[in-house]
Amino acid sequence: MTTSVAVSPRPATGFIRVGEDAKPWITGFRCMDCGAVATEQTLACRRCTSRSPLQEFRASARGRVYSWTVVQRSYPGIAVPFVSVIVELEDHLTLKGTLRVADHDSVHSGMPVRLVFDDAGGALDPEGAPYVGYHFVPFTGDEK
Amino acid sequence: MSSVYVVGADLIKFGRYPNRSPAQLGAEAALLALDDAGLTIRDVGALYVGSSFNAASMMGQQILQQIGQTGIPCVNVSNACASGATAFREAMIGIMSGLYDVALAVGTEKNPPGMLPSRKTEGPPPEGLFGSGTMPAVFAEAGMVHSAAYGTTIEQFARVSVKNHYHATMNPKAMYQRETPLEEVLASEMIAWPLTKLMCSVNVDGAAATVLVSARKARELGLSRAIRVRGSALASDPWEAHNPVMFDANSVTRLAAAGAFEMAGVGPQELDVVELHDCFATAELLHYENLGLCGEGEAGALIDSGATTLGGRVPVNVSGGLLSKGHPIGATGVANIVEIVQQLRGEAGARQVDGARLGLAHVLGFGAAAAVHILEKA
Ligand SMILES: [Zn+2]
Repeated sequence: MTTSVAVSPRPATGFIRVGEDAKPWITGFRCMDCGAVATEQTLACRRCTSRSPLQEFRASARGRVYSWTVVQRSYPGIAVPFVSVIVELEDHLTLKGTLRVADHDSVHSGMPVRLVFDDAGGALDPEGAPYVGYHFVPFTGDEK
Repeated sequence: MSSVYVVGADLIKFGRYPNRSPAQLGAEAALLALDDAGLTIRDVGALYVGSSFNAASMMGQQILQQIGQTGIPCVNVSNACASGATAFREAMIGIMSGLYDVALAVGTEKNPPGMLPSRKTEGPPPEGLFGSGTMPAVFAEAGMVHSAAYGTTIEQFARVSVKNHYHATMNPKAMYQRETPLEEVLASEMIAWPLTKLMCSVNVDGAAATVLVSARKARELGLSRAIRVRGSALASDPWEAHNPVMFDANSVTRLAAAGAFEMAGVGPQELDVVELHDCFATAELLHYENLGLCGEGEAGALIDSGATTLGGRVPVNVSGGLLSKGHPIGATGVANIVEIVQQLRGEAGARQVDGARLGLAHVLGFGAAAAVHILEKA
């Protein structure tokens, strides 16, 4: 018998954080002077140039589609088609992501969506650890 | 502020040159422009070279090794699709400073083949996992914001390609010189909605060059074919809520346009001819509004009206644009200026805009950089 050892997944992209309980979240940074938000901890606020430390926060998992496209041709080896979306989260953080939706014709600007964490397509890092990624799904209002 | 004039301008035919280096292409364009000005490399006080992918290889020095190692200072510029326009502007600043009487600005590029990537990231390859970073997807998403706000249709975006491919039939230096009717543009392979293959710019090799001189030197050479630089501005992307997660083509272009119009002391309604950065068909419509050629939300109606077609109120991309003339990244900014120079001289042949006196050249680099130049018949 083998004993499975819990390996903490690694963020597949810079602004995913993984807690000690292996639960991930999206991290954002807010300027306390002007309120601008970003997924990157910059040296100063990129909007107002304030050097007051940015406040880190856990981003909302809900938002709306700001823009989108259905990608029919991508780099060689990338499975198509898929829906690429720019999402404005409830706390104004902007994320790019893939929207998993059966009916591509239903995608529209303003569409409510929910962020779901995933295994980043099953990719492993060079040491064999799994990644944690995310995608979006339509938000129907039924979810808790 | 001292005036700067363009007295030489030319480009090589855009296409694929598998057996020639970007320095050789740039050197050929440089000689064409010097011949056009009636000058030689011995007259040139400084060389500025734009090349997005090749600037780090001391491109200017390599060009001088092709055409004459006179020992002049070389400045090698990489600024994405604005590389060539940045080199032109630096040459202008060199003349304005009084340091040089004659400066040569060259843009040259051999693009890597295929779809150009955006930025490299850590972790698994993000394409498909986190949306798409391909340039067609980026400019499709930019266009869909306009579509959502104003109801702009795929047919309106496609008409940009119809127009620019038509214009290119009159430009012997364009990569493609074949008309593409609306049905053909819409029926070509869908890349990223609403962009079909014929609505994406052509990835080619190319080079273009301009000779810039001081007012004193221009008078000495004679002003009959001289073109004056009335306005010049270069901008980096200002803060905008979605940028840089979502590329913002608009704010940076508006910033550069405002700067160039202010310097020139003219408004967009006075322009006779415009070369703008139609890297994708969606982009051209966005830039109609960014450059003030029409009001907010009116770009779809402007393309439909025919005003931006040769013979219309303000013809746009009569060279064929990036969509049909081709888009050798670092050369494009200089090539756009060359087209405006030829138009203002009245030397544009079959695609000549009648009586053109004031023209604008715009480029937009991913990342972001925008350059706008306003030129006038001297
Ligand atoms: Zn701030």
